[in-house]
Amino acid sequence: MSDKLTFTPVIGIEIHIQLKTKSKIFCSCSADYTNDEPNSHICPVCMGLPGSMPVLNRAVVRQGMLAGMALNCKVQPTTLFFRKSYYYPDLPKNYQITQSDLPIAADGWLEIKDDAGKPKTIRINRLHLEEDVGKLHHSTSDGRLEGAETSWVDYNRSGLPLAEIVSEPDVSSSREAVEFVTMLRRRVRYSGASDVDLEKGMMRFDANVSVKCSDGRWGRRVEVKNMNSFRALEHAIEYEIKRQSEILAEGGEVLQETRHWNDAKGVTSGTRVKEFYRKFIVEPDLPPLVVSPEWVEEVRATLPEMPADKASRYVKEMGLTETDAAVLTDSLDVARYFEACVAAGANPVRAGNWVRTEVLRAVNEKHVDADALAVKPESLAELILRVEDGKLSTTLARQVFDAMLEGLSLEEAVKKSGAVEGGMGGSALGDLVRATLAANPDVVEEIRSGKDAKGKKVKFLQGLVMREAKGQARPDEVASAIEESLKPE
Amino acid sequence: MRLYELSARDIASGVRGKKFSATEVFDECLSRAVACDGKLAALITTTVEAGRAAAGRIDGRVSRGEDPGPLAGVPVILKDNMCTHGIRTTAASRVLGDWAPPYSATVWELLSSAGAVLLGKANMDEFAMGNTTSTSAFGPTANPWDVSRVPGGSSGGSAAAVAAGYTPVALGSDTGGSIRQPASYCGIYGLKPTYGLVSRYGLIAYGSSLDQIGPFARTVGDAALAMQILARHDPRDSTSVPGKKIDFTCREGALKKKRVALVREFRGFTLDAPIADAMKRVTRLFEEAGAEVVEVSLPTVARYAVACYYAIAASEAHTNLARYDGVRYGRAAPGAAGLKEMYETVRSEGFGVEVKSRIIAGTCLTEPVRSEEYYVAATRVRTLIAEEFRRAFESADCILQPVTPSLPEKIGEMDEDATKGYESDLYTLPVNMAGLPGFTFWTGRAENFGEKTGLPVGLQLVGPRWSDGELLNVGFALEKILGAPKIASL
Repeated sequence: MSDKLTFTPVIGIEIHIQLKTKSKIFCSCSADYTNDEPNSHICPVCMGLPGSMPVLNRAVVRQGMLAGMALNCKVQPTTLFFRKSYYYPDLPKNYQITQSDLPIAADGWLEIKDDAGKPKTIRINRLHLEEDVGKLHHSTSDGRLEGAETSWVDYNRSGLPLAEIVSEPDVSSSREAVEFVTMLRRRVRYSGASDVDLEKGMMRFDANVSVKCSDGRWGRRVEVKNMNSFRALEHAIEYEIKRQSEILAEGGEVLQETRHWNDAKGVTSGTRVKEFYRKFIVEPDLPPLVVSPEWVEEVRATLPEMPADKASRYVKEMGLTETDAAVLTDSLDVARYFEACVAAGANPVRAGNWVRTEVLRAVNEKHVDADALAVKPESLAELILRVEDGKLSTTLARQVFDAMLEGLSLEEAVKKSGAVEGGMGGSALGDLVRATLAANPDVVEEIRSGKDAKGKKVKFLQGLVMREAKGQARPDEVASAIEESLKPE
Repeated sequence: MRLYELSARDIASGVRGKKFSATEVFDECLSRAVACDGKLAALITTTVEAGRAAAGRIDGRVSRGEDPGPLAGVPVILKDNMCTHGIRTTAASRVLGDWAPPYSATVWELLSSAGAVLLGKANMDEFAMGNTTSTSAFGPTANPWDVSRVPGGSSGGSAAAVAAGYTPVALGSDTGGSIRQPASYCGIYGLKPTYGLVSRYGLIAYGSSLDQIGPFARTVGDAALAMQILARHDPRDSTSVPGKKIDFTCREGALKKKRVALVREFRGFTLDAPIADAMKRVTRLFEEAGAEVVEVSLPTVARYAVACYYAIAASEAHTNLARYDGVRYGRAAPGAAGLKEMYETVRSEGFGVEVKSRIIAGTCLTEPVRSEEYYVAATRVRTLIAEEFRRAFESADCILQPVTPSLPEKIGEMDEDATKGYESDLYTLPVNMAGLPGFTFWTGRAENFGEKTGLPVGLQLVGPRWSDGELLNVGFALEKILGAPKIASL
């Protein structure tokens, strides 16, 4: 009976993103505490000491606006902060200051492809600003509070600026979820609002999952928490869809609850904590946040062209394939490198090939942004032009590029590679061809006697010359030089 | 005249002019405090070493020809809810234990850099919740005019100390009358400034949207002197309003053509006879001095302000007091078996009854099912109250009204009926709801009023936002007519 029923998942996603700022959201403590001692980046404000008061960091507002704009949200002119009350040792004031329902940005959307490959809009309810909490360390093997002899709290993270992005329940599968957050991450990173480094915990996911049964029954909404990677998000959603579908298939009832994703075990489990309300009052220590239209426009002017727009421009105006355009626009530094290279005169298709192969390889090997490479896009453009002009072979150009990566100028790198200005041609090439022919008299004889109808022997000689020329000779010149030498004297 | 009897102005000019040293002043004030505090219990902490060291530094600067500032060598007392770096700050609660803050409140930074010297931290109702200074974990403070009676609260320690001559100036905080009511009960001057005029940074919060720090003094001039130093924008307090330049020089002739209003709705309410008499006497004084006495109507204020005040104050308080959980500072529960037990132990042992009742009230009033009906409704009424005051001040420059309907009760009497205390707040709470300045001034002592004969009688001036300087000008004129209060003899 159950195999006749079908189940439609309804999924909403909440994404926490750490905004990129020098200092925390309500105090001047440094936001970069990587590898520093626990509780070394704290002050009365982010420790919630009696009498301390928050002061809103305007850089956080700016980054929030940028992220919102990258997600097609409308910036709200007047917003408010609230105190969201709940008790936990990592929350110094036992309330979190959050914009909650009166967010800095609202009503956004992203377009993804659904599972059938058709365009689909995922609506974004809002992006609101809030403070992060500290980190708990428990003396248990599984790191959970339950049963811990001792627990420690590190408040370095307390007060880091977060943007919480809440989608509408428009997502229908784990694949859509991953595509949505991948696109979201790329756009936010483009905007410069966050580094969205998943490994550093700068992006965390919760999912609200429910399933609708084909017989009309609905499961209740289940909030799944604690996903820190795309993979975890994908698996947690899949697990939850399956779990809920099975319950409904057996005629059971899905409880409305918060479940915890256990990444190691690959399961979600009930939190055993009774669902409790989180209470809100207006944060009396912060006046309403009013964002002037001038400021909004000033921020908007700094928002770069978004990746999808870039990609379609590359296809339409530069003749790149969609695949290549997608690779080139995956991160802004690479796209900018490519565009600078084209602007400096390189052919877009050739430049595209260079950037998505050699430049990306260098970026990955050196773990730097493209703009930090020793080879500037203008130099790469010059290199590409020389190949195009026949002054350098592609093989040699790669060697030149590698030498430039080590810090040499274009001229120095060309010299080091042994390439002669203008490549090997004229008498040098003539000498090499003659020497090669002289070393292979039997092959020459076979060609002259007309036994090389398919041209294989000529190609063989050509290959020998090219190898000897160490990439400095142009294939067409070699071919014509061999042809010249083979002519009966 | 003894040095402790001098005004802050006279002390500062004497120290600057080398008539006497800051150390001499400090020692005299200290011995006055030590002599009286056995009876009054106005201080939680007496800062003998820190104060004497600071006085010594002031004297050093004077002898080097430097100017230590307008409060050179003036001993002051802070209510014990203002953070003082390295000096125990308790908010009169067991929950904070011996917590010594790692930073100072802005008001203390301002006073000390103007040359003031800390003599002590004053007793108060626990977390400023109360109007008797009897809810303190350190026991009640007594009224210097009758030690069997309350000094008012919650800043009762500060008020009693100034009235008894410990220091010429002390700071209090006023969430719903906590400066004005004890100033009245102790027979001195007390200003609750416009919300946003004085920084709250470092003030242990009760109701953050209502709390405001202000001075107690025995002369209007000293209150104005303190305000000259305190009224400053503080970037660390986002509710502190920038760009407000208020003149606190106490100008003469403030009463002429001044439109002084009486509130129509307050007319029918019962007052102790000496307070009713004072209202009549001061109204007549205004008229004689060329002021125009008018009437304004505040129906919403009279009807709803008290209920809405408690909803807002409790809602904010329960969040402000959520941080006392034993995790980071103050009282801990090292033997607790788990997190929940730790919270329960720290909070049930750390807080007193009054504080617990307000935390519970705030928790209930902000529950999602009730929030709209209580907390949110109260914030809406608050807007109406502010608007009603704004309209009233279109036809008046200030309002003359009582501070409380009655003179101070005996210690312990108020505790039996909590709601009686609440009702007595009608003349003070609405002022905080609207963020207005309110100034308590001494009018004289009660005559022919049974066992309350001789107790001080104060009244209150309320003005529009930022009229703080103008209120003090009016107070200055009244001080000239009524005389300044004497130090209570103990």
